[in-house]
Amino acid sequence: MTEFSPTAFYILAFMVVVFAIGVVSFKNLIHSALSMVLCFIAVAGIYILLHAELIAAAQVLIYVGAISILIIFAIMLTRHRTGDLKLFFSRQSWLALVFVAVATIVFTAVLGSANYRSESLAQNPEDEKIAELVFNSYAFPFEVVSLVLLVAIVGAVLLAKREKQ
Amino acid sequence: MTPLQHYLILATVLFFIGGWGVLARRNIILIIMCIELMLNAINIALVAFSNYSPHGAGLGEVFVFFVFALAAAEVAIGLAVAIAQYRLREKLGVDELHDMRG
Repeated sequence: MTEFSPTAFYILAFMVVVFAIGVVSFKNLIHSALSMVLCFIAVAGIYILLHAELIAAAQVLIYVGAISILIIFAIMLTRHRTGDLKLFFSRQSWLALVFVAVATIVFTAVLGSANYRSESLAQNPEDEKIAELVFNSYAFPFEVVSLVLLVAIVGAVLLAKREKQ
Repeated sequence: MTPLQHYLILATVLFFIGGWGVLARRNIILIIMCIELMLNAINIALVAFSNYSPHGAGLGEVFVFFVFALAAAEVAIGLAVAIAQYRLREKLGVDELHDMRG
């Protein structure tokens, strides 16, 4: 197993946090969406550091490739005619920021005091093992997920269909 | 070697940044994007636990695949609702959607 330098994690983590804050705080929705794409790419880098190359590839394909494009299409389809959307921060946003900051500090303190194993076991297995788990041990949940996707596609088409007068 | 806590703290911070966006912003599409950030935070935690735990190698990654599929379904439905609502009312603020009440 390749060992990655610890600084790589901190650089990627910094990118994830900065771009995630960008998603929340950009006024223009397109800028938020592009910041979200960069955040997802940095998260894919985190997966590579965790020896989960298959997940990293799926992250790039599904999140960066499909979901981001879908969101950008939705933004462009719903753009207000008069300039930018005037749906920026509401009055509660500072209250929300305080709540979120307190929750983050509490969770971080709890996690920091927990006694976890500090050495990676490099346990994330080869892709064959994951395929065996998905298609043998977890074949039934896999089928349920495919059914959920089918229902979601039908529902999305039905919702987005123009009403005939 | 990076300890497990650092991955979990990163996941916590990302989750709460997404939560802040859900609470503070008013646009439906941006709220969907922030929910995606929160799901990504959960995925980081799952993959990190899968990498550091001596039991059940790969289980976390299998779970992440299911989360991917459900996130895709959630985005498809959420954006379809947003676009249908926009087409009816030309509004996308969550506090303007009075006719979505049951």
